[in-house]
Amino acid sequence: MQPLDRLVQKLCDASRKQYLNPYTYLEWPRRIGEDEWCMTPEFISIYGTDLYAGLSQRQRKRLSFYEAVNFFSLNIHGEKALVEGLTQRLYRGGNETITPYLHHFLDEENKHMVYFGGFCMRYADKIYTDRKMAIPRQFAPGEEDFLFFSKVMIFEEIVDVYNARIASDERVAPIVRKINLIHHKEEARHLVFGRDVVKRMFHTWAPQWPRETLQNIRDYLQAYFVTTWKEYYNPDVYKDAALQEPYQVHQRAFSDAACRAHRRAVSGKCLDFLVEHGIFEKGFVV
Amino acid sequence: MKAETDIRGALREWVLKTSTKITAGELKDDMPIIEERIITSLQIMDLILFLEQLTGRSIDVAQLRPGVFRSIDAIYKNFFEDGSDER
Repeated sequence: MQPLDRLVQKLCDASRKQYLNPYTYLEWPRRIGEDEWCMTPEFISIYGTDLYAGLSQRQRKRLSFYEAVNFFSLNIHGEKALVEGLTQRLYRGGNETITPYLHHFLDEENKHMVYFGGFCMRYADKIYTDRKMAIPRQFAPGEEDFLFFSKVMIFEEIVDVYNARIASDERVAPIVRKINLIHHKEEARHLVFGRDVVKRMFHTWAPQWPRETLQNIRDYLQAYFVTTWKEYYNPDVYKDAALQEPYQVHQRAFSDAACRAHRRAVSGKCLDFLVEHGIFEKGFVV
Repeated sequence: MKAETDIRGALREWVLKTSTKITAGELKDDMPIIEERIITSLQIMDLILFLEQLTGRSIDVAQLRPGVFRSIDAIYKNFFEDGSDER
């Protein structure tokens, strides 16, 4: 058995063993109290800024609710694109080895959207809009699949740091912790899979790509890294939390030193992986 | 609503601030900024946020037609002109 077959078998076994019913796993409280944190305070997008320092505890908790709705909305948008991409790759020539695990991947991502959507629609009656837009273009051989799995990995690696931190934070509302916990547990398998696939694809295709193509791929993925982070600073969140000049808050927070330090800390493990395998060159700052 | 020249000026300024691939002297309002990769697909999110700020209303991305961001002319026509579909 090849290493990839073994990994796929191991992940499939784990998914089957930990199979969950998303409709019975959670007990939804009737409402979220205004005195509850819904996001780890240190992970609120404007934490560490002068603006955050000037907010009352009540305002911070209100903001934490909308930050959680945004975090779950981002996950829904990310997972919708992921499910679409995974479905296209099921049973596609060349993907026979990984297809058995793609079924579990799809199943688990759909369940995650049930949790995230359940929270957003029950307590906020909405999901924040997705402002990303794909523009069709030509790809070099292997490029489209490599970019797809790399983007999934970057997105999920950042999300997982949030999931792990929020799930273990006793200050946060139990329902929010539980959603983050189940996501963290199931994503652990997706992350192992994602890293393995990205690494294999890069080492297969990169030697065949002309230098300019490789540089364009690097530039694109680095821009994707930045864009992914920008979505955490959502002006709609600031508006709902009654902060003045939400667009300016978005811009100022993104360039604030404290927020940059937070992004570096959260991105560290993922960036180390990308640099270790030569996908990114050293020196990229998010 | 600001005057057309102010809006076009703000759009040009945004493109120049966002892209490293063009200078003020080279940028024309009819230039295909997406096709020429002056603005990338990943920067569209920033552009939408900027347009929302400029127009004071939300943009439903799912309803946007292909080509609305093709050039500064197209952006002005689609988001600022009287009777534009996106208003």
